[in-house]
Amino acid sequence: MNIETRPRLGLCNTLGTWSLYRREVLRFFKIAGQTFFAPVITDLLFLGIFNLAFAGQGRSAGDVPFIQFLVPGLILMAVMTASFANASFSLMFEKIVETIVDTLMPPMSPGELTIGYVLASTTRGLLVGIAVLIGMLIFTKVQIHSWIFILFHAIAASMLMSVLGLITAIWAEKIDHVASINNFVILPLTFLSGTFYSTQHLPEIFQKVAYFNPFFYVIDGFRYGFIGIHDGNLILGILILTILIIFFWSSCVILFASGFKLKS
Amino acid sequence: MSSKINTRGFRPVVKGPNWRGIWTLYAKEVHRYFKIFGQTLLAPIITALLFLIVFGIVFGDGRTVGELTYIEFLAPGLLMMTILQNAFANTSTSIISQKVNDSIVDTLMPPLSPLELTIGFILGGATRGLMVAIGVGISLAVVVPISFQNLGAVIFFAFGAAIMMGSMGMMTGIWAEKFDHVSTVTNFIILPLSFLSGTFFPISRFPDALQIASFYNPFFYLIDGLRFGFTNQSTGPIAIGVFFIVIINVFLWLTCYWMLRAGYKIKD
Repeated sequence: MNIETRPRLGLCNTLGTWSLYRREVLRFFKIAGQTFFAPVITDLLFLGIFNLAFAGQGRSAGDVPFIQFLVPGLILMAVMTASFANASFSLMFEKIVETIVDTLMPPMSPGELTIGYVLASTTRGLLVGIAVLIGMLIFTKVQIHSWIFILFHAIAASMLMSVLGLITAIWAEKIDHVASINNFVILPLTFLSGTFYSTQHLPEIFQKVAYFNPFFYVIDGFRYGFIGIHDGNLILGILILTILIIFFWSSCVILFASGFKLKS
Repeated sequence: MSSKINTRGFRPVVKGPNWRGIWTLYAKEVHRYFKIFGQTLLAPIITALLFLIVFGIVFGDGRTVGELTYIEFLAPGLLMMTILQNAFANTSTSIISQKVNDSIVDTLMPPLSPLELTIGFILGGATRGLMVAIGVGISLAVVVPISFQNLGAVIFFAFGAAIMMGSMGMMTGIWAEKFDHVSTVTNFIILPLSFLSGTFFPISRFPDALQIASFYNPFFYLIDGLRFGFTNQSTGPIAIGVFFIVIINVFLWLTCYWMLRAGYKIKD
């Protein structure tokens, strides 16, 4: 017998999803100094260091000036870090202070919970990206090759990182676990996927390894949107990203539905 | 053994410094970060290695700084950056989390004088900075030939930096009212200064005005001094650096001592 515990709300509990989304967005706006200014400062520091250390003569792709090559990488790095941090810390914190029950009790389906959390973190990622872009425009020109590629890859990157962050937080039992994933998986992958250099300059074996790193495709496609040059196969990248997002998004819904480490 | 109660304070009469108290506080501080060694010891080592790899690849075409290859130039800078960030992080987060949890009273109640508290906290932070640096140093040694040209300078500047940042972290922790304040100081003051004081490139790349400003930046002397210890090459005068670091450390210790004595923001 199927007992209907959930009020009938039509296809989707729009009000509930919107409320969760809004609460999540308000959460990160409360600490705007940490969420927006800190990544802008960090990225500008990187820009300054690379510019001063290499006097603009670093290794880029083709004949693109190194700074032009670097800017998209830095922006996307900020977007990815912010999305992951938001999704993982928000849910982790709720678990630790045991307020997660207030999020799980309302009549929201696993799918709606996932939408609320993921879209809020995506929003943070994109806002951070815009903030960093504005910060960079003060110091350097930014050329645009294709808006579609920029938008697609920015949104795909932040969505992918948000679902990954959410899964991490569902699995994690303490902040330490989240920090470990962040420090030992996410940070190395973002640093080593062509953010700061073209993979053309890597030894051949590492180039092959890079092609198995999904973050490489995000950065490569995003950079193509700016400078019109890419290292990998763009269509393959879009395909991989779409599949990964669908896969991890569904995993997230399944995890919420099963109550894995959330409900006892 | 009869213990007397000191009528002016509630501190039992302990002859001389309360060594056991200092040691216990120090041990507590060290145990605290060992409990989360993944975050406090391994993560900074990975970060330093990532910097080395990224800068090595971007800059991997045999460019030099003075007589050093770029990697030889970079390694001491990364070591110092690690000490600076970790010593600061330890004291600041330790104190602010005790304040936020309201458990700071357990540290203030025991018969420890302000000076003894200062010593325990700062040495705990300094230990973390130095331990992480040793970890980074060992990992760097795999890639870069590391030699001690002037062991005295290496020890002086490593300890000077660890103690200086331990006390700055302590002051930040005492002043801060929430985690947000500590991360603000970390993100907007400590991180930029540790990045821009000659870690990744010689300050001669700076515009003139910033080069002159660098000679008033204690972080510059720390990085320059440590690099001198490893490579025998320096940008600034080492003697002035030594003098400057000693003065700053004395000043910071006194400030920490005074803050604890006054109970600034930790006693109601």
